[in-house]
Amino acid sequence: MKKINFSINSSLFILFLMFSIACNTNTNIKTKENSDSIAAKNDSIKSITKSDTISKSESKTDSKIAVTNSERSKVLIYNFHVTNRCPSCIAIEKATTKTLSAYFATEVKQGRIKRQVLNVDKKANKFISEKYEAFGSGLFVTRVFKGKETTTDLTGDGFKFAKNKEEKFIEILKNKISEYLK
Amino acid sequence: MKNLTVVFLGILFSFQALAQDTIISNNPQNLKLKVLYFHITNRCNTCRSIEANVRKTINDNFKTELESGIIELDIINCELPENKTISEKYQAYGATLALTKINDSNEKIEDITNFAFAKIHDENVFVSELKSKIETLLK
Repeated sequence: MKKINFSINSSLFILFLMFSIACNTNTNIKTKENSDSIAAKNDSIKSITKSDTISKSESKTDSKIAVTNSERSKVLIYNFHVTNRCPSCIAIEKATTKTLSAYFATEVKQGRIKRQVLNVDKKANKFISEKYEAFGSGLFVTRVFKGKETTTDLTGDGFKFAKNKEEKFIEILKNKISEYLK
Repeated sequence: MKNLTVVFLGILFSFQALAQDTIISNNPQNLKLKVLYFHITNRCNTCRSIEANVRKTINDNFKTELESGIIELDIINCELPENKTISEKYQAYGATLALTKINDSNEKIEDITNFAFAKIHDENVFVSELKSKIETLLK
């Protein structure tokens, strides 16, 4: 009888031990899980905060650039042409490209100078062509400053010099762009 | 018969003079204004249109002045070697429209190329404004 009691007690003790171990392990796992998830949450919070800080600092920089850019003038250059182009018209476009790459590569890269070559015969260019009254070949340089636009029509100089006196035309165009960038 | 031949030849020469590309004053002592239009060999529609409207302005408004030699009209290909000197004088290396006022032996050149290309899309405006410019210089 004593033996039976002892075996029951010992088995009960063993069961209790097993149960308690099992419970402890679960709690450990749970806490681990919890700590992981907290860590992950913390990370995500950190990352959110970081990204917020980055975006805030970026937006600050952006707004600084925007302010600086809005205070500085921009130059728009339009080379208009018809579908069937004459040698002078082609020469004007070529000389404009030369002028920009030789003297204003930085400003073009910064976006302070924007240049477009547009075919006035295309419907898509109707609005801009009418704005500049460009119904054939034309070269227009526009200064945009504080929302105000000032335009110089260099078509005549282009036809006069671009084909046979390119350096003279480049000088005229360079001077006009430099003046408008101030 | 001789008289008839002279009259016939006279009429023939006068028609030839009118048909000339460049109308040069036959009376240099009367000359007050030169209208010069330079162009290159391969011309575009705009360039041709400018020439046509310069001719139209003069024919419609200054025919008497042209015939009496007060106005001279020169249409010049600036790429031809024989026109090199005059083209360089006017710095005309492509399409160029210039008005030259002659006062005694003094010449005053006004380059109106930018005006020409800016206004040519509206022929009425072009003719009317060129007419005003010529009238001002003839005063």
